[in-house]
Amino acid sequence: MSACSGRYFGGETGQRLTVQVDAFVNGTTLVIAHEDLPNGRLSWPFSELRALSDGARKDQLTLTLRADTSDDSALVETARLTIDDDPTIAVLRRHCPNLTKRDVGKGTVWKVVSRSAMALSAVAVMIFVIVPALADTMARLIPIEREVRWGKAVVAQIERAFGATELGALHCENPEGLAVLDAMVTRLTSGADVVYDLNVQVFNHPMVNAFAAPGGQVVIMRGLLDKASSAEEVAGVLAHEIGHVESRDVTRNGLRAAGSAGLLSLVFGDFAGGTVAVLVAEAALNASYTREAEAEADRYAHRMLETAQVSARGLATFFDVLSNEERGLEIPEYLSSHPATEGRAEAAKRVAQVQGSTRPILTEKEWSALKGICKKA
Amino acid sequence: MTASIPGHYHGKGSPLFALYLKTAVLTILTLGIYRFWGKTRIRKYIWSATSGNNDSFEYTGTGLEKFLGFLIAIVVLAIYLGIVQMILFYFGLAVFGEPQSDIEALAQLAGIYITVFAAVPLFLFAQYRARRYRMARTRWRGLRFGMETGAWGYVLRAIGHYLLTFLTLGLLLPRQTFYLEKYMTDRTWYGDAKFVQVGKWTALYRGMKHIFIGVGLMIVGLAITAFTQSPAPILIFGIVGYFWALIGLVSYRIFSLNYLTRHKVLDKEVSFTSDASTAEVVGIYIVGSLAIAVLGAILGYIATTVVAGALAGLGTVAFEDLSNINFVVFLVPVLSYIIFFLLFGGLFLVLITQKVIAHVVSNVTVLNADHLDTIRQRAADKGADAEGFADALDVGAAV
Repeated sequence: MSACSGRYFGGETGQRLTVQVDAFVNGTTLVIAHEDLPNGRLSWPFSELRALSDGARKDQLTLTLRADTSDDSALVETARLTIDDDPTIAVLRRHCPNLTKRDVGKGTVWKVVSRSAMALSAVAVMIFVIVPALADTMARLIPIEREVRWGKAVVAQIERAFGATELGALHCENPEGLAVLDAMVTRLTSGADVVYDLNVQVFNHPMVNAFAAPGGQVVIMRGLLDKASSAEEVAGVLAHEIGHVESRDVTRNGLRAAGSAGLLSLVFGDFAGGTVAVLVAEAALNASYTREAEAEADRYAHRMLETAQVSARGLATFFDVLSNEERGLEIPEYLSSHPATEGRAEAAKRVAQVQGSTRPILTEKEWSALKGICKKA
Repeated sequence: MTASIPGHYHGKGSPLFALYLKTAVLTILTLGIYRFWGKTRIRKYIWSATSGNNDSFEYTGTGLEKFLGFLIAIVVLAIYLGIVQMILFYFGLAVFGEPQSDIEALAQLAGIYITVFAAVPLFLFAQYRARRYRMARTRWRGLRFGMETGAWGYVLRAIGHYLLTFLTLGLLLPRQTFYLEKYMTDRTWYGDAKFVQVGKWTALYRGMKHIFIGVGLMIVGLAITAFTQSPAPILIFGIVGYFWALIGLVSYRIFSLNYLTRHKVLDKEVSFTSDASTAEVVGIYIVGSLAIAVLGAILGYIATTVVAGALAGLGTVAFEDLSNINFVVFLVPVLSYIIFFLLFGGLFLVLITQKVIAHVVSNVTVLNADHLDTIRQRAADKGADAEGFADALDVGAAV
């Protein structure tokens, strides 16, 4: 290799030295010569040479010596040699084995592992212990009027989401149907100690579903009434939703989600697809919490049905119908917010077997009035 | 050595775009962890593309130290955010309901503002620390830049300035711009040489000319409409005034950048010129946006088609016994979303951000550069905390 010139900065002053970069002694050392250098020359061994990475200039190569072992990049080796001469660059690239090697300081792995463990446990403790505990406390402390107002706002949001252009457009208001619904709620709650003023509504929508919102708001979708073969099935579902209301599940969940969503977005950051990761994680997290809540609401429903002398067989039948529906799309249990439906049907059946005397919750006539709650009067 | 050194930018579009795509894909594959290395590599590219007198800048930061800083920040922020966010949410519940009285409406408004402003000090803190970190990791001619500590002082001053600017309807914006920049510049070093921001804040008012014209047009439109009862003037004057003021805002930023750069002095000897042009920058934005729209649509269409095709193939072979329809239906929108963000991010970086940087850099000149030879290295800033908080909070530096 022939000699060429290079630009050298020692890192002590800002002064540029135009140095002579020379052919190697026995092919393993780069010699940098300039009269201002100590002894007039520096020898950089090939194996210690490192090139700066991700540079924009393809016409030059900036070399440095192997970084010291610190992982604090402010402290690394300061001398820089920049070469523009293409043949020299090609030779160096061929003969320097460690040009692109990243030197990692001693103890780096331990540092990464220990700090990761610290960060992960802080986040885990927050998400699994502190946030749920705080949410629990707050759900109990929140004034009922505020919870009711929140619940109404949630119901209104859901109504819009289901396509109501104006609020109330989905409400089913056939007076006979409403009267029957009222009677059903009264029968279910008469023997139970219900704290909330229940506000049960039916939405005119084909979905087979029912849900509870904070502050005693319960909504049944018309599809559920259409699908149900007896009034007991509806009563069972209603009792389950009242169970959610009474244990403040939705309120607690809303508070918890608010806390953990912020934390999760912090961890995943703002990369493309980060939002998706947060949503999936939040759904999985949410599912694990609500599965317990669902089981608890089932047990509440069982007790309520027993007290009101309503057969739990209706609830069991409804779960059977649901589990047949679900066959179409298997959702793994860890992603689903409800316990596997077959198990829930079994539990309801067992309750029905040991239950005391029962009497029908609605007459045939009342049942058809309830089914027609969405008809215009 | 010449007495003045003009800035040069050597970066190209396609290598940077390729680098962006590569790091972004790695980021997705590692569930976000690679983002620290990705950002570092992109900075290395941009820094090394910037040169004066053919000596390139160097970015010495590493992804590893950013990652470690982030891990620490997360411990602090997990506790802070988790608790604060839930308390705010608890009190913010009133936001969902219809206000029943004026007092309640006011309380709601206050609740919303407190929620937003609770994060402001943290953001400002992170902003200063991020700039300090970037300075500590920037070298030119082998010498380090650096910045003194002072993030809390910056937070207090910035909040004060923001309030003043807000209360004077923006009339004191130049004062805010000038003094915040002066606070940071006066704490900045190159080697053992200190920067000083000189000049007067009132000089920045000239840069606000076009904002005033735009706002003036909107007021005139409002006045004519109020007088004649016809809606046409407010519409015409309003739209023209709005865009005028918008470009006026860009013009103000460029004007203040030029003014503040021209009035920086290094080591009492070295000064700078800066001649960035508003027209050029606005042009870059307009051309860039159009190009992104066209290129993004074409590339996005091709990528989504390829992905959908590949998935359909997969669905019939490997996922035979799963309910493959649902699988594909779920994945296609998610992948399209990711592809969209990848393309948009990359194109924006290359077609707008890099071009603006190139324009600004090429229009800066260092004067009396001979004095640079007398500057010596500064001691390293240990513990410039690798932007942990800035990364966690995503403080918006373009690169």
